Amino acid sequence: MSFDLATTAFYYMSGASVTSAILAVTRKNPVHSMLWVLALFMHVAGIFLILNAEFLAAVQVIVYAGAILIFYLFIVMLLDLTGEETRPRFGKHWPLAMGAGIFFIIIGLLTQVEPRRAEDLPPGNLAQVGEQLFGPFALPFEIISLVLLAAIIGAVVLARGRRAGS
Amino acid sequence: MIVPMNVVLGLSALLFAIGAFGFLARRNIILMFISVEIMLTAINISLAGFSQHHGNLHGQVLALLVIAIAAAEAGIGLGLLIAKNRNKSGADVSDLIKLKW
Repeated sequence: MSFDLATTAFYYMSGASVTSAILAVTRKNPVHSMLWVLALFMHVAGIFLILNAEFLAAVQVIVYAGAILIFYLFIVMLLDLTGEETRPRFGKHWPLAMGAGIFFIIIGLLTQVEPRRAEDLPPGNLAQVGEQLFGPFALPFEIISLVLLAAIIGAVVLARGRRAGS
Repeated sequence: MIVPMNVVLGLSALLFAIGAFGFLARRNIILMFISVEIMLTAINISLAGFSQHHGNLHGQVLALLVIAIAAAEAGIGLGLLIAKNRNKSGADVSDLIKLKW
C-alpha cells in the first residue's frame, strides 16, 4: 500500500473518532461527554470528505454538530443535572492551549496555497445528491419531512405540559 | 482515494459497538441518547462507504434520511426528558421503576 496523504488522514480520523467515542461513553460529566461527541462528529465529517461525500460532511457539521449536539447541551444545562462546580476559569493548561493556537497560526501562514478557480472543480457532489433526492428518492424525502413535522409537534406537545390543555 | 470497504465497515462496526456499550452501560438518560447518536453516526459511515464502493449516491441519500431521523429522535427524546423532569428531577433511568412489579 502506497503512502499518501489521504490514507494517512483517513487512518488518523478513524483512530481519533474511535478514541473520542470511547471517551464520550466513559466520562462521568455529561458536558465533557458532549464535547467528546463533538470531536467525534467533526472527525466523522472528515471521514465523509475522504469518502467523496462532501454534502454529507457539510450536513454532518451543520446538523449534527451545530444543531443536535447544541440541543443536547442546552438540555443538560437547562435541567442542571450535575451540581455546578466552581473552579478557576483558566486551569493550568492555558500555556499549552496558547502554544497550540500559535502552532496553528504558524501552520496557516506556512501553507498559503493558490486558490483554484471554481471552473476547475469537477461537477459537485451537491448537485448529484440533489438530483437523486428529488428524482428516485422523492417519496422517501417527502415521508421524512412528514416525520420531522410529527417530531416537531410531538416535542412541543410533550414539553409544554398539561397546563394549557386541560 | 478509494478507501477499502473492509476498513470502512470495520470502523463502522467498532463505533457501533462503542455506542451499544454506552447505551447498555450508562444510567444517565442523556448519555444513553448520545450513545444512540454514536450508533447512528456509525451507520452513516458504512452507508457513505457503500456509496463509494458501488459508485452511486444511494448510500449518501440514505445517510441524509438517517440524519433527519436522528434529529427527530433527539427532539422527541429530549421533550420526553423535559416532561419527565417536571414530575421528578434527575436523569437517572434507575429511578424510572413505576412499571416494574
